[in-house]
Amino acid sequence: MRGHRPVSSSSLLHPSLAQQVGRVTLILLALLFLFGFLILPVAAVFTQALSEGWKMYRDSICQADVLSALRLTGLVAGIAVPLNLAFGLAASWAITRFEFHGKSLLITMIDIPLSVSPVVAGMMYVEVFGLHGWLGPWLSEHNLHVIFAVPGIVLATVFVTFPFVARELIPFMQAQGSDEEVAAVVLGACGWNVFWRVTLPNIKWALLYGTILAASRSIGEFGAVSVVSGHIRGKTTTLPLQVEMLYNEYNFTAAFAAASLLTLAAVVTLGIKKVLEVTTGLRRGNAEEEAES
Amino acid sequence: MSIQIEHISKRYGSFTALADVSLTIESGELVTLLGPSGSGKTTLLRIIAGLESPDEGNILLHGEESTRHNASRRGIGFVFQHYALFRHMTIFENVAFGLRVQSRLLRPSRPNIRERVTELLHLVQLDSFAEMYPEQLSGGQRQRVALARALAVKPKVLLLDEPFSALDAKVRKELRDWLRRIHDDLHVTTVLVTHDQEEALEVADRVAILNLGELEQTGTPESIYNDPASPFVYNFLGNVNLFHGRLLTELSFEGRAGSAERSIDTAIGFVRPHELELSRNLPADRRSVVASVLRVHAAGPQIRLELSIVGSGRSVAAELGRKQFEQLALVPGDKVFVWPQYIRLFDDDRAMSLLLDQGAGI
Repeated sequence: MRGHRPVSSSSLLHPSLAQQVGRVTLILLALLFLFGFLILPVAAVFTQALSEGWKMYRDSICQADVLSALRLTGLVAGIAVPLNLAFGLAASWAITRFEFHGKSLLITMIDIPLSVSPVVAGMMYVEVFGLHGWLGPWLSEHNLHVIFAVPGIVLATVFVTFPFVARELIPFMQAQGSDEEVAAVVLGACGWNVFWRVTLPNIKWALLYGTILAASRSIGEFGAVSVVSGHIRGKTTTLPLQVEMLYNEYNFTAAFAAASLLTLAAVVTLGIKKVLEVTTGLRRGNAEEEAES
Repeated sequence: MSIQIEHISKRYGSFTALADVSLTIESGELVTLLGPSGSGKTTLLRIIAGLESPDEGNILLHGEESTRHNASRRGIGFVFQHYALFRHMTIFENVAFGLRVQSRLLRPSRPNIRERVTELLHLVQLDSFAEMYPEQLSGGQRQRVALARALAVKPKVLLLDEPFSALDAKVRKELRDWLRRIHDDLHVTTVLVTHDQEEALEVADRVAILNLGELEQTGTPESIYNDPASPFVYNFLGNVNLFHGRLLTELSFEGRAGSAERSIDTAIGFVRPHELELSRNLPADRRSVVASVLRVHAAGPQIRLELSIVGSGRSVAAELGRKQFEQLALVPGDKVFVWPQYIRLFDDDRAMSLLLDQGAGI
């Protein structure tokens, strides 16, 4: 490998004219694509939201319905993310640290929410918890409302964000191995100490990264939530559902104002993700450098 | 603290890692478990540590049954092949870990922890590295930190799993001598696993040789080297020449070999390279074979020769002192008469049957 390196790097440093033209064309194409399909639409959201001025924008957001949708979205994410954090940690720990029957089945199952359409996920919950579903009669007897109520929305969100933390952690913990944990146990640490002092500090970046992905998905989820929510204005509409409702009512400015909030949330999470990538990337780079020496 | 290993067996599926292994390690002893990969030596070490549980048998620590005890309660120091240092902690915190996680009743006070860690870092000659992180240290330094960390909790038993095998040859040798000195200072019962026979023989009070999950031989390094109990041990402890069949008959004396009924034809004979005698003239008083010189390795205190026996074409290795080599002045292509000072014979049931000492007899 090393022997080839100087050749390829010199041809990259001193490209011929044809190579240079090709390179510039490719970069331009990529930029054009990025502009047309990402930057322009995102900009359109904000222009449309602000088309009737700041005051109108503020008023659209401060509507009671939008504020309640914002609160509900926060509540749902606030429940779904910690749940999946706990589940993701437990699953990754079990999968990477123990040998047991059905392990590969569990790994496959974790991926189901990624391969199933969110609409189907919503319908599955309706089938189980709905009025005419399997548990419906029992639930209505006890006056419990799941479908067309907040619990259903939380369930659907938990389902679609199920894999994010675990998928982030499993490869990371597999690569790290369990040597340090075994060392801690031999040194007399109890399980609690091993987890807080050794495991968690080692996986904290990957864990945070997975959590951010889960959070941004739970804020933005539409399909599954749409099926189970019932669209009761001010009660069971999350922010994405609110956007759709406003849009369907031809209230474009208000729809885009709400949409701009979601977009902002996405930009913020991407920003945090990028910062994490840089910091952990630096660490990873160091480790590789050191492994080579 | 003594360790008694009693009839330990361990299987992984159809693979037998350990088959009925028994061994007693005295208090304060340094024992090496030596064997090729897959011989079960690391499994045995992990069973002593409580990191694996045996299918059958017991481990007695200081006469007390501990097989069902959790690894964290055995009072054991363990040093891993790949260090297993806590990468997010400083060297100081790594060494202090075992003290910090002790239950509140046993845990030393902060100043005491600081004192103990400083003392240990001094012992492993890493005083100035306390605030560094593991990734800033070399392999040899890291393994010294790992040893300090293991010693911090004053273990009654120290277990080392191929601790030096990831290091380069020179560092390995230094650390080996250094480990021996530390052991002589602290007298903690120590078990070291290695596949390096030189390391095992050099560092240990006693060596236990494992092969295919069974204990082949135990003894002092000297007795094991001079008196190998089986062809495997003989082979494993250094370079050997193997003779059998006709060649063996040519080289040895049936009269002395066949203390009656055993036939020398079915036996195999071992000769170490330095036990071969070479001469340019036909020796009158002993049996010898003719060989031609293939290669000469003259770098080092001992000259190593690769020979090929004329007729059979079998290759044989010989080692000579520099002085003797200069007298013979051999170059590749030369013909030379070869005979063994000693042949160690084993028959097929692995038990050692005979020791020939031709030189003394003639």
